[in-house]
Amino acid sequence: MTGRSRASRLLLWYPPAWRARYGDEFAELLAAELAERPRDVRRTFDVALSGLRARLADAGLVSHPLDHAAAARAGLATLACCGALFATFGAALWSQLATGLRWAAPADHGITQALDLMSLALLTFCVVAALGLVELIRAAIATVARRRGRTLRWPAMLAVASAAVLVFGGRHFANAWPGTGGHALTAHGLVPTGAVAFCWSVTMWITSYWAHPAMLAAFPATQVAWMTLIPLAACGLMTGMAQLIRRLDRSPRALCFEIWLARVAGGGMVLFLCGALRWLSSATAVRRIDAAGLTVLVLVIAAGISAMRRAGLERRAVTGVSGTRR
Amino acid sequence: MADGAKHGYALTKDIESFAGVRLAPGTLYEALSRLEAHGLIEALESQDRRRPYRLTAAGATALSSYLKAQRQVAEVGLRRLASTWALT
Repeated sequence: MTGRSRASRLLLWYPPAWRARYGDEFAELLAAELAERPRDVRRTFDVALSGLRARLADAGLVSHPLDHAAAARAGLATLACCGALFATFGAALWSQLATGLRWAAPADHGITQALDLMSLALLTFCVVAALGLVELIRAAIATVARRRGRTLRWPAMLAVASAAVLVFGGRHFANAWPGTGGHALTAHGLVPTGAVAFCWSVTMWITSYWAHPAMLAAFPATQVAWMTLIPLAACGLMTGMAQLIRRLDRSPRALCFEIWLARVAGGGMVLFLCGALRWLSSATAVRRIDAAGLTVLVLVIAAGISAMRRAGLERRAVTGVSGTRR
Repeated sequence: MADGAKHGYALTKDIESFAGVRLAPGTLYEALSRLEAHGLIEALESQDRRRPYRLTAAGATALSSYLKAQRQVAEVGLRRLASTWALT
């Protein structure tokens, strides 16, 4: 392999925006380095690490030296992905608890409190998602009106198709909800049965059955296919939405509103986590999958807070507000 | 860059010759992009895919202040070593 092709391969560690700005000159430097020292593990490791840091910056998780507006949008896109992941795993925990309460009265008052907190947090998430979607559609219409909507076509189609799969599939498979026929959630009349069934249906793939193939094989083939399809559709929806958020031009005022929404969503995440911790502290036995779900929630919150902080700093840099710290 | 514009490879060789440290390419470009973002250096037109960088006026001032502070630290350290250990 020649020095140039090795340099091109090493460049792949970096995100496209970085390669567009520094790619040629960096490849030239790498080619000169490779000609002088063909084998150097430290150099490969350094390029990989630096490339990953550039990718984190591109995702709005660490300081971004290239473009403040793009960095603010990247931070919001990452935060939206964190929110979607959090809502997915959170809805799985919530629907599991709510389904259990259809069949047995809560043994502890703490479980009721946990369900209340988690329900309130998910409601907050729904409101934030709706407001965010309205803002996104408004920005998309403005972009299309300026005849700059070509780059939005594929992300929009991917997001709409994935959302359609999740909504129609979710409603279809909600008919098999194990809570059907149980006692009504008398203590939780505000928790709509249809919402619990839908959440259970679209989070069906978050299960320990994957570790028990023999038990999984007993499931109807259509249900196993659906369990395989959900994460793909969810990834498609997240990718499409993230690309739309990154590609849409927004005014500083709109960015400000979206960051405010992100802060509300962050509050919802913390509220949900409090509810989940209350549940686990009241549960007689903590199952491994619940602990794993909680760990995912904590990690997603940490990434979300980092993205939110970065988006706020970059937005201030765009609008020229003083007092920014890096 | 204190003595003029240099591209990435020339910077690596220069730093190696006077500081005895060979900067890895990723580290070098992270530093360059950060300095450029802070307006301390600027990129010039590319020459055969290699792009030279030079100090801006703000960069020259910042470098001068930094080196003066370093010189002061070095002078104090050497003076104390000389008085206690008779080292020069």
